[in-house]
Amino acid sequence: MSLFFYLFSGLIGLLLILFLWSVRSTRRRVPPSTRAGVPDECGRRNMAYLPQIRQALAKTDYEFLSKRASREIVRRVRRERRSVALGYLAALRGDFQSLLRMARVIAALSPEVAAVHEFERLRLTAKFAWQYEMIRWKLLAGFAPGPRLDGLSDLVSGLSVRLETAMKELGERAAAAAELASSMNRRGLDVA
Amino acid sequence: MNEIVAFGKMLWGLIVFLEAGLLALLLYRKNHRKFPFFFTYVLIAFLQSVVLMVSYRLWAFSSSNAVRIGWGTQGIVILGRMLAVAEICRRVLGRYRGIWALAWRMLVGSAVLVLLYALAIAGFEWQLLALNADRGLELTITVVLVMLFLFAHYYELAMDPAVRSLAIGFFLYSCFAVLNDTILESWKYRYAPLWNLVGMLAYLASLLLWNWAVRKKQPEFTLEPALLSQCVYQALAPEINLRLKLLNEHLNRILCPEARRP
Repeated sequence: MSLFFYLFSGLIGLLLILFLWSVRSTRRRVPPSTRAGVPDECGRRNMAYLPQIRQALAKTDYEFLSKRASREIVRRVRRERRSVALGYLAALRGDFQSLLRMARVIAALSPEVAAVHEFERLRLTAKFAWQYEMIRWKLLAGFAPGPRLDGLSDLVSGLSVRLETAMKELGERAAAAAELASSMNRRGLDVA
Repeated sequence: MNEIVAFGKMLWGLIVFLEAGLLALLLYRKNHRKFPFFFTYVLIAFLQSVVLMVSYRLWAFSSSNAVRIGWGTQGIVILGRMLAVAEICRRVLGRYRGIWALAWRMLVGSAVLVLLYALAIAGFEWQLLALNADRGLELTITVVLVMLFLFAHYYELAMDPAVRSLAIGFFLYSCFAVLNDTILESWKYRYAPLWNLVGMLAYLASLLLWNWAVRKKQPEFTLEPALLSQCVYQALAPEINLRLKLLNEHLNRILCPEARRP
């Protein structure tokens, strides 16, 4: 067996994995224009709970508790706080992903896209995913302190405000397109 | 060995029958207008089968004339296949003007790179030129199709089931062709009868998939999505990227608290 054999077989194996991964998600997908009307509250839902989360993760709270409560209770509180931090981090990621999805819809529905922006977003998304997982594992292992999640929330909320405007325009254009399609149908044209 | 040859002949007959059926189906459902390059490709493949059948009757299977005709017609078939794949890419991404402008450059660029790579890695051995070129082109088709699906996945684009099935058929066949060519090169002629057989089986599976894909009349044209004004993208894309960058820096500070702020 030559080196080429292993090289090409490995390459085909890799391509097969990539293909299967991407094929399974292109089934029964809704076109972007019809998805654009999703409520644009993304990035806001979890922001409402920020003061409570901040309070739950406050160091002073923990110090106060450790002086007055038993070790078992302190341990339980620590565990619960960690799960709260993890849950909040996951929720923020969910919000962020939905915002990213909208950003991709905007790109798909734009008459021109810049390769630089697209690749930059791809790179940053990969980096975010990597760092998010690292923080999550650190939190799970109990190595990391409660992260400063407020800054994270600000980023998400700022982005969602600008996207709201874009989504409004998108909705108006989708409605105009639907009207155009129905008028074409009335004239007996096949636009199925 | 004789059983393999007999089974191969039977498969070949089935393939020619399915090719003819596919052509008839495309014409009957008037899908040849929606997929003109795909129709041309199937027609070329069908004609190749006929030409090969005649050449094997006139000369022996492994005669130099038959081999020359086989590889010569294979070049035309692969060219047709590449055009059909390009048509599929256009059909999936073409509706999204911005994405298509980015995608076609990437697809062509990667196709050229993969082709050069495949030829370079084969060492430009002239005795195996036809085989290497065939493998290079098939690998190019495979990569282009993977990229097409990755694009569709990333931008969450809708894909017609028929187009999807056609693409899967092309991918399936090209994958097997690359593996087969590589195995044939490694084991040379010892593997030749089995190589033909496996190649035919892969093509048969693709043909079945394509027949199923075009069994219904395809829509005349799909309505283009309502596009946003260019200023929306220009305003939002850099801002989104900036915020992502800030977010990454923020995560980095959480990961490494001792790192200095920029």
